[in-house]
Amino acid sequence: MGEDDEPLTLDDALWDRIVQITSGAAAACYQCGACTAVCPWGLVRSESINVRKLMRRSQLGLQGGNGAADPWLCTTCGYCKALCPRGVDIPGVIHSLRREAWRQNAVPKGLRSLLWDVHWDGNPWGQPPSQRFAWARGLDLETFGPNHDLLFYAGCSASYDRRLQKVARALVAILRAAGVRFGVLGEAEPCCGEGVLAVGNDEYLEEIVAANTRLFREIGARKVMTVSPHCFDIFSSHYTVGEEFRPVHYTQFLAELVSGGRLPPLAIDPLVVTYQDPCYLGRKHDIYEQPRSVLQAVDGLELREMDNNREQGLCCGGGGGRMWMETPAQERFALLRVKKAAATGAQVLATACPACLACLDDGLKVAGEESMRVMDIAEIVEMGLVPALEPVAQGAMR
Amino acid sequence: MNRSLHTIVCLKVVPKPEEVRIDPESLTLDRAHARSEINPSDMNALESALALKDRYGGTISLLAMGPTLFEPFLRVALAMGADCAYLLSDRAFGGADTLATSYTLAAGIRKIGPFDLVLCGEESSDGATGQVPPGIAEWLGVTQVTYATELSLLSGRWWLRARRDFSSGHEIVTTPLPAVVSLRSRCNEPRFMDMDRRAWARTGSVTVWSAQDLDVDPEMIGLSGSATVVAGTQEASKRDRRREALKGSIDERAHALAEIIRPYIDGQRAAAQQF
Amino acid sequence: MIPSHYSPEEARGIWLYLEQEDGRLLPVARELLGKGRQLADSLGVPLTGLVAGKSVAHLAAEAIADGADEVIVAEHPLLEPYTTDTHTKAVTEAVLGGKPDILLIGATTNGRDLAGRLAVRLRTGLTADCTDMTLDPGTGLLLGQVVGFGGGVVASIKCERHRPQMATVRPGVFPLPVASPSRRGGVKQLPVTLSEQDLRIKVLERESRRGAGITSAELLVIGGRGTRGDFSLLRQLADALGAEVGATRVAVDNGWADHEQQVGQTGFITRPKLAIVLGASGALQFTVGIADAETVVAVNADEEAPVFEAADYYSVDDLFQLLPPLIREIQSNRGKALVGQR
Repeated sequence: MGEDDEPLTLDDALWDRIVQITSGAAAACYQCGACTAVCPWGLVRSESINVRKLMRRSQLGLQGGNGAADPWLCTTCGYCKALCPRGVDIPGVIHSLRREAWRQNAVPKGLRSLLWDVHWDGNPWGQPPSQRFAWARGLDLETFGPNHDLLFYAGCSASYDRRLQKVARALVAILRAAGVRFGVLGEAEPCCGEGVLAVGNDEYLEEIVAANTRLFREIGARKVMTVSPHCFDIFSSHYTVGEEFRPVHYTQFLAELVSGGRLPPLAIDPLVVTYQDPCYLGRKHDIYEQPRSVLQAVDGLELREMDNNREQGLCCGGGGGRMWMETPAQERFALLRVKKAAATGAQVLATACPACLACLDDGLKVAGEESMRVMDIAEIVEMGLVPALEPVAQGAMR
Repeated sequence: MNRSLHTIVCLKVVPKPEEVRIDPESLTLDRAHARSEINPSDMNALESALALKDRYGGTISLLAMGPTLFEPFLRVALAMGADCAYLLSDRAFGGADTLATSYTLAAGIRKIGPFDLVLCGEESSDGATGQVPPGIAEWLGVTQVTYATELSLLSGRWWLRARRDFSSGHEIVTTPLPAVVSLRSRCNEPRFMDMDRRAWARTGSVTVWSAQDLDVDPEMIGLSGSATVVAGTQEASKRDRRREALKGSIDERAHALAEIIRPYIDGQRAAAQQF
Repeated sequence: MIPSHYSPEEARGIWLYLEQEDGRLLPVARELLGKGRQLADSLGVPLTGLVAGKSVAHLAAEAIADGADEVIVAEHPLLEPYTTDTHTKAVTEAVLGGKPDILLIGATTNGRDLAGRLAVRLRTGLTADCTDMTLDPGTGLLLGQVVGFGGGVVASIKCERHRPQMATVRPGVFPLPVASPSRRGGVKQLPVTLSEQDLRIKVLERESRRGAGITSAELLVIGGRGTRGDFSLLRQLADALGAEVGATRVAVDNGWADHEQQVGQTGFITRPKLAIVLGASGALQFTVGIADAETVVAVNADEEAPVFEAADYYSVDDLFQLLPPLIREIQSNRGKALVGQR
């Protein structure tokens, strides 16, 4: 009542388009407001963002506005969808609104550059393509071929981000310890396109997927292990390479190695660890137990759960392309998350996603939390392989 | 005004700077193994043109001088929203310095036809001279605005209003069209390709002109038309960061750092900030 | 090739276009005088300065003290502020009259604006943004050293058959000369005929800024978490260098710096000649903001800091320990350099 300033003028053509691109997904919404209540943005702002209104506007063929939640805030954590009584694909509707925004060249600053970086440099960070394989210097990795059982797909973040390169190297150590025959694509490794998908440019993504599909078919890629759950997700959901193409996230693969007894016994000095469920492993793909089973296979590791774990996991704030958008410090989900983690008394906050790692690490800095550090599961497992391998200096993680 | 705005955007395709090597035997540039991209500030020039088209309507023609490998890049620019593309391609254009290049591009512009604006990036990432836009303006006998950051047209009259940088600040200038403008690197964020347009752009119009198609004096193009020559080249310090650790006591490290910094300081710079 | 307006045989002398603003010579003009004097002595030819503006005759004495043998003064209200057409006309007239062998211009934005047009009007070769200049021992030709491909390649350029041999010279490369007020030289007034018709560009507004802003800063000092909120030493260092101050996201988040100063993916991408990064660990989202810097120096107390991978020179130090001796030394060097300044 009195919410809207003036009578709405509906544009039939735009309505058609919105309905078409959302596949009418918003139609089932009966405006209960559960989405608004559970959206994590409500935890970091004085008021929830009005997701309900955004769905209502979509039903009317409008692109938001007038107090509706800003579609660019969405981290695609999926909590709203998980709790929607009618199963409305709210992130899907929001994604479609972003898609339409690209057609109008009405997207936030920085996102056009993101796409250009993927186009010219093959990664969303604008890093030199010739440097993509620098992370593997001295590791003597093999180029993927028919004799390999596994294609290790490092992905753009692990290839270029200095902190995340340690995760990639840790995985190499683990795979070797397990005697896995694996290969990599080296400098020719393409970007999976998840950044493009996250910001909603489906049309450009099609081009990327088509090119990468050709490549995967040419090289006969079957089992592909990714570092990032986002790469895993896009390979699973948006790529149709063939019958044998099987993307797995590294935690799934490590869980297989553990249960198959293919790793030497893992042991570390006593360490209390808590685990952040990445949205793209957990809520998106129901992968909750495998990462935990890997952690629990490390002798000396005590795993404690945070509040809001598994299906109720709190997003780190990095999904939905938010890594390329600015969020004021006090509004970062990660700040809340690290506090919940610290409340468990854990010394290490473990995760299995580059976005989570970056956001939570940033969260620790902003919170001034010195008692805890963030580590990737791969790094913990590598620690557990000591002294079977070259020691990774304990506590030397940033 | 009845006639619509016609903007010509000059583009150059350049090798990725970090991938260019010097062939150790011939001591010449080896660009063959380098990936290419559209010169970054030319992307800014194109975005400026597209923003003007959004606001004032009209058409955008692309112009480039180079080998046929430039074609797919022109198609990327067409997908961004340009209307047609012209590529000046001929062995005779090869080896040109900025004098011959600006001469040739000016001839291409004349052949394209009447224009209101020629937009270029401030400089190319390879040669980095920034001399071609003023050169084109002089050959065509039109006015120039270099290092511009914002453009608009004054309504009712065909005048350009531009914000441009100069060493100690910026200024707002106006000048009558037609004009040649060079855009400052990073002055805007180039829009991404319109994917609906992408398919059209793949088959859309790219006209290739050779030296014969243009009204040019063969003595003024390519190597023959160049007044400067390269006497020698060598690779500068590694593109990769040196990652050199400073050693010694803290005072020794401070001293080493001061020495590294010294060439970068212009002693008068602080005084110049009084301007 | 079409020849230029006069031949190498007719050409003599080194000329410098001395850029001025509001009645003061720009630093690069003085740098040109210093280097020009050296080149003129090697060739045994006169060094001539050319100054254009509204009231600039007083600059002749300064130019002579810095090394010019003669100064040509072009004065006219329409020559101030700088616009392309009026300066191109005046300089062309002077050059066609005097027939210099070499013409050097400082590679400021206006210098490059002028030089590019002038070279075509004079039908001659122009070497851009030289970082060094020498004379070919055999021919006496000017060899301009330039940097291309983002700094990856250094080339030597010459202009053989055209005159004047033109080059723009990067500011800050050559040292300032030591002025000798007792030097003698000639001053010539260049008759300038300009009318409103010659002026196509109208300058409506002009604003000189004190600070460059980090995106156009050539020297940048950046502070991060390691400053623990205390940017005072960084500001001292920046002042000593004439640099701008930038900050990492953590510093901005904590209110130690403005968002205008934030370097990185969600802040600003900078392209300085020198970036000094203090107390920042160097996450990818930060280092993309300095990836195009010519030289990066990093200081961090953590020996594992990723920022060292993105640096040319680094020191594992607490910035509070390293900065005081560093600042002292820079200030003392600066003092020495300013000795010759008026």
